[in-house]
Amino acid sequence: MSKQAVSDTKTANGQTPVAYDPQYILMVKDLKKHFPIKGGMMSQTVGWVKAVDGVTFNLKRGTTMGLVGESGCGKTTTGRTILRLSGEKTGGAVLFNGQEVYDLSAKEMRALRPKMQIIFQDPFSSLSPRLPVGEIIGEAVREHKLVPKEKFNDYIDEVMDNCGLQPFHKDRYPHEFSGGQRQRICIARALALNPEFVVCDEPVSALDVSIQAQIINLLKDLQEKYSLTYLFISHDLSVVEHISDTVGVMYLGNLVEYGAKTDIFRNPLHPYTKALFSAIPIPDPQAKMNRIVLEGSIPSPANPPSGCKFHTRCAHCMQRCKEEAPVQREVEPGHYVVCHLYDQ
Amino acid sequence: MSEELKNTNQTEEQYSLNDDRRVKVLSPGALVVKRFFRNRLAVLGLIMLIVMFVFSFVGGFVMPYGQAEQFYTVTYLDKEYVGVTRNDELRYAVADGQEFGTILQAQFLLALGKGKTEYSYKGEDYTLTEEGADFYSISKADGTVLAIAYKDIVNAADGMEDPAFAVKYEALKAYANGGTSFSADGGDYTLDEEGNILSDGTVIGYISRFVVAPKENGVTITRDFKEKLQEALEDDITEFAYTDEEGVESTYKVSYDATAKVWSVQQKTPSYVYDTYGQPSMKHPLGTDKNGMDMLVRLMYGGRVSLVIGFIVVAIETVIGVILGGISGYFGKWVDNLIMRIVDIFYCIPSMPVIIILGAAMDNMRVDPQIRMLYLMLILGFLGWPGIARLVRGQILSLREQEFMTATEACGIRVSRRIFRHLIPNVIPQLIVTCTMGLGSTIIMEATLSFLGLGVKFPFASWGSIISDVNNSYVMTTFWFIWIPAGICLLIAVLGFNFVGDGLRDAFDPKMKR
Repeated sequence: MSKQAVSDTKTANGQTPVAYDPQYILMVKDLKKHFPIKGGMMSQTVGWVKAVDGVTFNLKRGTTMGLVGESGCGKTTTGRTILRLSGEKTGGAVLFNGQEVYDLSAKEMRALRPKMQIIFQDPFSSLSPRLPVGEIIGEAVREHKLVPKEKFNDYIDEVMDNCGLQPFHKDRYPHEFSGGQRQRICIARALALNPEFVVCDEPVSALDVSIQAQIINLLKDLQEKYSLTYLFISHDLSVVEHISDTVGVMYLGNLVEYGAKTDIFRNPLHPYTKALFSAIPIPDPQAKMNRIVLEGSIPSPANPPSGCKFHTRCAHCMQRCKEEAPVQREVEPGHYVVCHLYDQ
Repeated sequence: MSEELKNTNQTEEQYSLNDDRRVKVLSPGALVVKRFFRNRLAVLGLIMLIVMFVFSFVGGFVMPYGQAEQFYTVTYLDKEYVGVTRNDELRYAVADGQEFGTILQAQFLLALGKGKTEYSYKGEDYTLTEEGADFYSISKADGTVLAIAYKDIVNAADGMEDPAFAVKYEALKAYANGGTSFSADGGDYTLDEEGNILSDGTVIGYISRFVVAPKENGVTITRDFKEKLQEALEDDITEFAYTDEEGVESTYKVSYDATAKVWSVQQKTPSYVYDTYGQPSMKHPLGTDKNGMDMLVRLMYGGRVSLVIGFIVVAIETVIGVILGGISGYFGKWVDNLIMRIVDIFYCIPSMPVIIILGAAMDNMRVDPQIRMLYLMLILGFLGWPGIARLVRGQILSLREQEFMTATEACGIRVSRRIFRHLIPNVIPQLIVTCTMGLGSTIIMEATLSFLGLGVKFPFASWGSIISDVNNSYVMTTFWFIWIPAGICLLIAVLGFNFVGDGLRDAFDPKMKR
């Protein structure tokens, strides 16, 4: 799709070799996804929207990684690019169980699909409106022949039951359900395929708070039951704090900080993370909030600032930040940050 | 089976009032149907369409006539039959073995003019005797009757020989003097009031002042008819009916031409002609057209043609449109570009001139009407698909980006299944609406073409071609039954399609809360 990525890579096949560590179900190394901007008379490419511009993290089996960041910072694109749902990547590597996802042929990819699933943000547009729920959930199960025909119905009933749906819902159509129920259907659809890894793309942001709690708890229960691994994308920090084991913070296509939940929430290192977390409301009217207010707005990902992308809004901006892009650094065990402030 | 039923009944009874399971499950299709039937106008449209379909497709079987069956009617033509003149000239009958040439006739007339009773010619004397009104006998000096001159004509009865001189003479004598019987040549004859000469009860001849001359060759005028005619003339009747020997009753009209002194008798002859522009009657509720075909039957078969053409044209448009639009929308990129440019080109083709030229070409090639109809459908179909292709392409383009399509990809579902299970069913609502609307406009298009003489040709009918029979104001104002019913059919069908189309569009729109 793009020739630009080639210059960033070191090997002939355009990939940085990544050593596979079996404890990690997913290893993402310097993942990039740029979208072309078409313009001009002949609709030639006049620029690139760098939606994901170098994301590196490893995800342990059976854990949940929260991915936070403000709108438009590339969280969703990261999730979809990992699942190979938005065309070809621009650069980097995505290793699922040690297998580079983008090396697979279309047929192999289809075979791998059930192992990695996604739950969408909008439960209204993510269900095919003209199919009954049973068909929506069971379609892919049948497609991949995951269960024998005679057990199919029982299997779907079981999955639906696990997701808090009644068996008689099978014959109904999506429009007959509430948002929460629809999200359960989406979860059921993903889980029916018996996945190992699920990208939860803001699964609760379209729901009201009481339903959010139900869904989050459902996801947690299911994780325990099926030992699932989640990549939980959200901009709701309290939800992320509740569900995650590790947390990644994204800013303008970059993963600026990444580490265990407790480390990130107790001890945010990156100036952006600090600012972001200072915005969490404290449920105490007496408490005085010490908010860090960021100036300006998020720059365009089509024309990101040089050096550290955050330098335009950073309170600790140095000359170096404007010129040189920082690299990911492990500041304390398992706590990575991309900031010049922590360069020793 | 029955046990199962019982069980389900029991479980249904067990549901509490707020149990979800009590709510009836409706598929999106069923919902659309429900919403559609709540729309009164749409239901009206549906009823209109059903009526038109029953009228067109069932009506043809119910009616006893064929679509190209021509009907005949009897019209009466006044044909010159005979001319009747009252004889005002003296006619001559010469006795057997005597001579009475034209000179003698002239001499006789001269003498008669001078009031003389005798005249001579070439030394011979002749005596003329007035035997009755306008009846003279000419005799030689020796008293033998040479000839007679008369104005009342003695005719032979039908099939009889001309009466002999003596019979004529005696008959006229008796006729002139009001006698009822006479004898001549040793035979006895009677004379009745009508001037018939009877011998032993059979009519051998008759006496009449009138000369009846047939106007056409080969027509023999019977005595019976002459009598009837004479009666009519005497009574001054202008019209009378007469039944001839074969039992055919005809009406005759008598008119007198005073200058020629001729009564001309016209026979009203029945002629068997096409029942053109027949007024509505019990036999033909909507009358007949200019070819003498039953309008109601034509209308039914015409409806069949119009509707079938509509459906086939829309089917062709839809198949091409969905395939090309679907390919264009799903694959995008250069494929999309290519197909959409083709669509643009098709939009640029002015369809009317093309159809007119093709119609003229087919006229020239004398294409069979049935094949012509097929070509018409193909042409209309091939010219009409770009709209549908655009619609489908636009729909698929937007649906393709929907999250549920991403979900199918994430689930690893086959491409064919993605297209046919997820994309196409979501395009169908708009497609149905467009097609229903398209049906109406196609029927109008077909009617327009047929009206211009480019569409359906005789012997097939279509509503348009029926209306095209009305090509002048005389027909339009006089024979309303030709074009008004066809126009109403067209109106009802197209209006019905549009109502149903509108109803479907509203029903498919989930925002409709009615």
